[in-house]
Amino acid sequence: MAWLLSRRGWRGRTVVETLVSLPLVLPPTAVGLALLLLFGRNGPLGRPFYAVFGFDIAFTWRGVVLASAIMSFPLLVRSARSAFEEVDPRLPAVARTLGRGPWRAFFEVELPLAWRGVLAGTVLSFARALGEFGATILVAGNIPGRTQTLALALFQEVQMGRDGEALKLAGIAALLAALALGLSEALMRRREKTLEN
Amino acid sequence: MSDFFSLDLTLRQGRFVLHVAARLGETAAVVGPSGAGKTSLLEAIAGLRRADGRIAVGGEVLQDSAAGVFLPPERRRLGYVPQDGALFPHLSVLRNLTFGRTRRRDPDGGTHLEALVALLDLGQLLTRYPRHLSGGERRRVALGRALLAHPRLLLLDEPTAGLDPVRARKALAGIRRVHAELGVPLLVVTHQPQEALALASEVLLLDGGAVRAVGPARQVLLAPGILAQEGGRRWENYVRAIIVRHHPAGGSTEVRLDGGEAVTIPHTPDLAEGADLLLSIDAEDLLLATAPPVGLSARNAVAGRVDELIPVGSSVYARVGPWLAHLTPAAVAELGLAAGSPVWLVAKTHSWRVVA
Repeated sequence: MAWLLSRRGWRGRTVVETLVSLPLVLPPTAVGLALLLLFGRNGPLGRPFYAVFGFDIAFTWRGVVLASAIMSFPLLVRSARSAFEEVDPRLPAVARTLGRGPWRAFFEVELPLAWRGVLAGTVLSFARALGEFGATILVAGNIPGRTQTLALALFQEVQMGRDGEALKLAGIAALLAALALGLSEALMRRREKTLEN
Repeated sequence: MSDFFSLDLTLRQGRFVLHVAARLGETAAVVGPSGAGKTSLLEAIAGLRRADGRIAVGGEVLQDSAAGVFLPPERRRLGYVPQDGALFPHLSVLRNLTFGRTRRRDPDGGTHLEALVALLDLGQLLTRYPRHLSGGERRRVALGRALLAHPRLLLLDEPTAGLDPVRARKALAGIRRVHAELGVPLLVVTHQPQEALALASEVLLLDGGAVRAVGPARQVLLAPGILAQEGGRRWENYVRAIIVRHHPAGGSTEVRLDGGEAVTIPHTPDLAEGADLLLSIDAEDLLLATAPPVGLSARNAVAGRVDELIPVGSSVYARVGPWLAHLTPAAVAELGLAAGSPVWLVAKTHSWRVVA
């Protein structure tokens, strides 16, 4: 997906780009509502899903995963896309003239040069997913021990007046976020060294 | 003019349209100012950019839009060497070199890695990575990488761009050596007429989206218009020659130029008698005399006739056969030079440089 978006000049690119990036700018609760309506037990996607697989998405841990994935996907795509855009387009071109088909040029040249950026994007979107609140609470609810995420638990502790507990959770969140950012940053720096020519 | 390479292409880039139709030999150059579409043309030939028309190399059709033929780049067997080499930054020099070799079986025993490494002097570089190479080294590696894939034609994009004059001459020498040893045909794209003269026997001149001239390199490139475009830049005369004999005591070597003239150059013992070489001399270093020179330390005097006087900026180039000599308008007036005047071209032994 990111690679596709890094290419110029194909029809529908703007449409796909907009759809992918939408969760980034919409209120998370709006995305959550849309997902709830789509994947609820009577929703147009939720019903056939239940019929085929026999389990629900809404108000289960699967809802948490779905909400986090949709919300953090734009971040992943964006950083992966810029990773591909930074690869000199002449490199895969030269690989083609050296006998590689388009797929092999991608796997032997473009991907090895972009993978650190892709990985950095993955880490970043993971960190983003940790903090997801708005969409998650709508799709998955806030069922302690089942669909309660760190961000949701924190909110609950504050509501119950247990500021100390909330502060502990905030500390954990900060630690995880800092680790993820540090890792992503380190990956990008290594990558710049490789690309520098 | 040979039929090795035939081209009839139309490229479109936004509003810019370039149409090129030509038949060229085994060493050809595309010359034109920057923005003339030279690199795009090279990419179209390599199959990396869509263009309408027909391309045939060595009797094989690579593309013929009318017949619905379009070989993808990986099946064209063209050795594309982009401007600064475009080496794969994540691979060592050795793995860059062998990148194109792995999949293509060599039909006739051809080039071996070791021979090429020796020819291009890459032995010290094999374990290094592109970011630790100089500009000239990168280009040599890129040239080797293209050659190891056994191309039917090398496509060189501005092979000396960004190199200082000494390194540029070395790079040209390297390309000539490769061509002489391996016999791989060349198509060079350049904005420098001299580079085309040094590498190619035929030239296609591009300007304003069209072919301005096609023909033997000297004939096309010594036209007054080209020189005017070159502006005040130094003009180097390139000429091919054969070693006649060495004079170690005199510190000189006698050569015969391809026009038959005998000339003395600095002693070059590393080349055997009878060896072929490329010489260059700056237009600034060629003196004109209206009488055979006597009592002069310069050892070379060649008789000729002024074909034309080409004013460029505040100076004048006199074209004498294939030679250009740089003069001041005052000197032209004092000597009473005009087209048709008989002259002697005079040069010091040490004004000659051995390019390759």
